[in-house]
Amino acid sequence: MAARWLSLSWRLLLLLLLALQPWSHACAQANNESQLKAAYLVNFLKYVDWPEATPTATICLFGRDTLGGYLAPYEARSIAGRELRIRRVTGPDQMGDCQLLFIPDNEEARYGAVLRWVERLPVLTVSDAEIFTRQGGAIALVRAEGRLQFDINVVAVSAAGLKPSSQLMRLARVVVGATK
Amino acid sequence: MKKIFKHVALLVVCQMGGATPGWCADVVDELSLEDLTKTEITSVARKTQNLASVPAAAFVISSDDIARSGALALPDVLRMVPGIEVAQIDNGRYAVTARGFNGRFANKLQVLVDGRSIYHQTFSGVMWEHDVIALNDIERIEVIRGPGAAIWGVNAVNGVINIISKHSAQQSGGFVETTIGTQGKLGLYGRYGGALDENTTWRASVQGRHAEPSKQFATGTDSEDRLESTLLDMRLDHRLGGGSDLALWFNATRSALGDLIRVPVLPGGVLAENSRQSDASQVLAGRYRWLTAAGIESSLQLSLNSSSIELEKYFREERKTYDLDYQGRYTFAAHDLLWGISHRTSSSSAQTPGSLISLRNHDVTQRTSGVFVQDDWTLIPEKLQLGLGARWDNTNIGGSTFAPSATLIWTPSRVDTLWAKYARAPRMPSQGENNVTMLTNFQPGGAVFTRVVAGTQILRAEKMEGLELGYRTQLSSGFNIDASVYRYRYSDRISSTQGAFLLGPPTIVELNICNCSAGWVSGAELSADWQVLPVWRLQLSYAWTRIQMDEAADAAVQADGKHTEQSTPHHHGSLRSQWNIAPDRQFDAWLRASGGYQRLNAPYTDMVKVPGYLTLDLRYAHKLGKDLEVVLSGRNLIGPSRIEYVSDYVASVPVKVGPSVFLSTRWKF
Repeated sequence: MAARWLSLSWRLLLLLLLALQPWSHACAQANNESQLKAAYLVNFLKYVDWPEATPTATICLFGRDTLGGYLAPYEARSIAGRELRIRRVTGPDQMGDCQLLFIPDNEEARYGAVLRWVERLPVLTVSDAEIFTRQGGAIALVRAEGRLQFDINVVAVSAAGLKPSSQLMRLARVVVGATK
Repeated sequence: MKKIFKHVALLVVCQMGGATPGWCADVVDELSLEDLTKTEITSVARKTQNLASVPAAAFVISSDDIARSGALALPDVLRMVPGIEVAQIDNGRYAVTARGFNGRFANKLQVLVDGRSIYHQTFSGVMWEHDVIALNDIERIEVIRGPGAAIWGVNAVNGVINIISKHSAQQSGGFVETTIGTQGKLGLYGRYGGALDENTTWRASVQGRHAEPSKQFATGTDSEDRLESTLLDMRLDHRLGGGSDLALWFNATRSALGDLIRVPVLPGGVLAENSRQSDASQVLAGRYRWLTAAGIESSLQLSLNSSSIELEKYFREERKTYDLDYQGRYTFAAHDLLWGISHRTSSSSAQTPGSLISLRNHDVTQRTSGVFVQDDWTLIPEKLQLGLGARWDNTNIGGSTFAPSATLIWTPSRVDTLWAKYARAPRMPSQGENNVTMLTNFQPGGAVFTRVVAGTQILRAEKMEGLELGYRTQLSSGFNIDASVYRYRYSDRISSTQGAFLLGPPTIVELNICNCSAGWVSGAELSADWQVLPVWRLQLSYAWTRIQMDEAADAAVQADGKHTEQSTPHHHGSLRSQWNIAPDRQFDAWLRASGGYQRLNAPYTDMVKVPGYLTLDLRYAHKLGKDLEVVLSGRNLIGPSRIEYVSDYVASVPVKVGPSVFLSTRWKF
């Protein structure tokens, strides 16, 4: 009897949860901001050309780890023919292996110092604060109109010896340093 | 049938996890760059995520959390942090502490706004009735429970609250918020910001708050706690290039808040006297951050503060404080080295018109200087980090203190973090403890007074030493758990011993302030953050706290120890729900609960029960178009009207904390 009740209440609970969930876009709408940020980082690897072909593509996460958990599912996958790696980094010595460096917005005070560490290295710098591209960073993920968009600083991208694809340029919300 | 349910269960499980494990994740990562730019955000990033690599019991309140809390005052926002105990005293006054020892003048918590301490040296505490920053101007609040003295200095004993304001570049354009609510509550906030040139941005905000008096808990008649509070806050940011920048702040506040104080009078009577409290402060602060060619990051901050407090009929103080603070940082090899020096000079001049309070010294200048160094050393990249730090401070009143700390953080996987921390923290005696003699209580019978006397002993710093452990994990990309346990030893704690017995009338028993109490504090805290559905998030916080003071030979110290043990609620916690009904509509609920406890019924010597409570806040926000939002919120909606605290040192008449409703409009232009 008890088992039956349990099973019945379990089913009721499931039905309740089902009733609560927006059916039409069940999984497609899993657009948590952090998941979107992680998806952007992986995508940028496909839309930028690095001067040297490497067998691996490494996303380095600086400072307080904000996206590690969201990037974990992508780890070891093949992205544009390269195996994806995720690393946490804390200092200048660890920048050599990075293709992409993510500096979270709460490290705003350290933008200048960290950008100096990757000066003249072929590293694409990304942050999630709007002011990042104006501080010399390459790409800023920006929350605008309820969506996550990005700004790109072409001067910073080419100074790092990287080539952004035309599609990347076209999709950017703001292109910094383009006309000057 | 069974099959269908299996399928449904799978779907639900996938939803519960915020949809990363398994095939749901594929949907997001198969999105092209173009699709990503078009996807709507249904749940904003959790700031709690940022803490995976912090070896301390830390919690981050984001600006979104603040807006969705429905709170009008800063202490009410802090209620969401596990281990932070917040008890409302009246319209503006609060008792706030971390991990025990709460009080109207709770004195073991360090609170900083953009790096400058708002800790008041007279009471060794924060005057929460004074709005130091508008909630709308806060970018985030980082709360670290436990000792932070190795970096933040004396008085960061059981917690540090770091309030970080928004960069002016983020606040361009205009914004106005008006609030109207029950109990005559009115609020107005206005802001305008802009750019002077490509590298210079500014922002100015004003805020005013008003509230009519609360009802006295015992009689239901009006109390005297009418609140009027105004604030002007300006910020200018200038980018100098090459990693250097300059920021300037100007902040001026005025507030007035009445109080009804139960004063012991002869013969054995209590007079409820109203006393208006007026506070004013002006702060000018500047910060220069620069980067040297070698890669050393430096920050130099200077702030000037002039303030005044008047507690009508009893106390008046003018104060000027100068703060100078330098911090450097250099990251090399496996080390992340942080160091700093600071100096503070604070001069005060106080008067005590009545006979209730008297001062040993009316004019006091306190000079405090400190140096600290902290190294985070990565032993195994991505796995194991050791942190060692120490700080030394010296003041002309109270001598030198030393605060070392050691942390170890182990991240066995991308989603698990284990940390351990040992630290020592001193608390400098407040100027009040050094200086103020005050009639506080009656002995039973009413004809004998108690007088707390300062200056019979030279006070040293209080000491605290303790160990804590923590664990954080991400069970799925939508479910995070953070737990910590701690045990602290307090010694040389300031209390008072039985002193002279002066035969009257009035007959007075003197209690001499001394470093004579010691005890243990233990506790555990848990917070969980669950993205149930893409549009629905639940956050739980819970704290268990227990204080055990040592047995003391002296009757007064023993009694104070017992009062301290009893005046801490053993359990408190909350559950917040944030539901994004649609992109333009939000519905939030916040259940809050606290266990009951006992407090001294000043000016008598008996204890009164502050009952436990369970209450609910609700908030509904609706965007009308792009730039206008209407918010309806209610606080304390369930449960009877209650008292959350009984003020002892200044014995205010307890007032009712009960339901209130607000309507706000938020307009951006």
